[in-house]
Amino acid sequence: LPAGLSQWFPALEVLDVSGTGLAELGAELLALPHLHTLLAKNNRLGGPGSLPKGLGQAALGRSLRVLNLSGNRFLEMPPSLFGLRGLRSLSLGGNRLHSIPPDIQELCSLEFLYLGGNFITSIPPELANLPSLSYLVLCDNKIQSIPPQLAQLHSLRSLSLHNNLLTYLPREILNLVHLEELSLRGNPLVVRFVRDLTYNPPSLLELAGRTIKTRNVAYAPSDLPENLVRYLSLASNCPNPKCGGVYFDSCVRQIKFVDFCGKYRLPLMHYLCSPECSSPCSSASQSSTSQSESDSEDEASVAARRMQKVLLG
Amino acid sequence: MEQPVQTEMWKAQSLEELIRILHRIFAEDKVSVEEVQALMESYESNPEEWLQYAKFDQYRYTRNLVDSGNGKFNLMILCWGEGHGSSIHDHTDSHCFMKILQGNLKETLFEWPEKKGNGEMIKKSERVLRENQCAYINDSIGLHRVENISHTETAVSLHLYSPPFDSCNTFDQRTGHKHKVKMTFYSEFGERTH
Repeated sequence: LPAGLSQWFPALEVLDVSGTGLAELGAELLALPHLHTLLAKNNRLGGPGSLPKGLGQAALGRSLRVLNLSGNRFLEMPPSLFGLRGLRSLSLGGNRLHSIPPDIQELCSLEFLYLGGNFITSIPPELANLPSLSYLVLCDNKIQSIPPQLAQLHSLRSLSLHNNLLTYLPREILNLVHLEELSLRGNPLVVRFVRDLTYNPPSLLELAGRTIKTRNVAYAPSDLPENLVRYLSLASNCPNPKCGGVYFDSCVRQIKFVDFCGKYRLPLMHYLCSPECSSPCSSASQSSTSQSESDSEDEASVAARRMQKVLLG
Repeated sequence: MEQPVQTEMWKAQSLEELIRILHRIFAEDKVSVEEVQALMESYESNPEEWLQYAKFDQYRYTRNLVDSGNGKFNLMILCWGEGHGSSIHDHTDSHCFMKILQGNLKETLFEWPEKKGNGEMIKKSERVLRENQCAYINDSIGLHRVENISHTETAVSLHLYSPPFDSCNTFDQRTGHKHKVKMTFYSEFGERTH
């Protein structure tokens, strides 16, 4: 980029340097206080120094709203990127990213994030801390699971997950109230109901601990050895919201299939305190899983009405 | 559609001329698929002529009506953002012509699922259509999915459907189950619909 850029064109708002073979975007950009859109796709960016240092402190750091770096050679998201606190739209499609750093949450104004066509294997839960994110594209990556925290993205309208390595989805996905578009094709989603065969039955210690907690058996620290007092303090509540049970180490990952208006069956991941966990839960829960299944289905049909187009096919 | 009496190969010099010739062709009782496909392919895409119809949506591809062909056909422009794709769908017994105006689109052809379909749908073939190429499909040929697989470029395509239709079936690739959907226009004659 020419050295006098900010002097010649101080009012510059949109700059498109796509397809010019640039290997770095230099400091000439920093002093452009009105630049809101920078398009630099299909270049040779990706090495250290691809983006100018001090981006966050410069005038550009405050003004930039749209940044398109797709079709470059980034192996990781450049750290100076995270100073762009006013950025609304970021595209890094078709690069060589292997991960998304937790720093992504610094881009607090982000509404549009395109990361399709990379080599990303997992999603950091910090991604869910972007309050305005409405369009998230993660297609054509190597993602194996979605963190349940993603359900906190209340503004999400469109989620693109096609062509990844997903076998199931977290049940929390049903909580995405504004989600209208969801693409899931080209994932090895489990089609038939799969019972987690590797469930390890709880130990006697665990069973005793559960009984003490769920029946509110009173105890004082002097009643038990210190290690058992500590153990009892580690009880976790069963993630099934309708179950009052607790677990310590042993919980079941169960894949439940949820019909969306009878058209699609999405495998959703439930974590339960035991294979018999259902609602309401009691210590002698002999009831079948049909109750919690139909609860899921109620939730699902509500979600289906909200979710207008599930591009599963 | 059957073979025409005379074989005339049109060359459309502009989008306006393309539409005029289409009106003339479809005014006849018999229309030839080959003739329409050749005509559509002959038009060399000029963005100045169709930019007014090319309205993109951030979240999904859009359908923008250009001409309603005196009720004989619908001509529309579809705008595909990066990564945007359609579901697998049929064409409600109509003819479908699809010409690329900008960028590339991948078309994947599928066999019709069995009546009691409960298995993965069978892929017949796939290809990437380049600028100015025109593809043709109807229900007897099969079903297809169309997608912009580029992560850096948008795509624009020109579609002709005859007779016009406003609903079709979408199919779940994993099971072959179908689901009827209504199709809507994002804009009509260059004006945004709401």
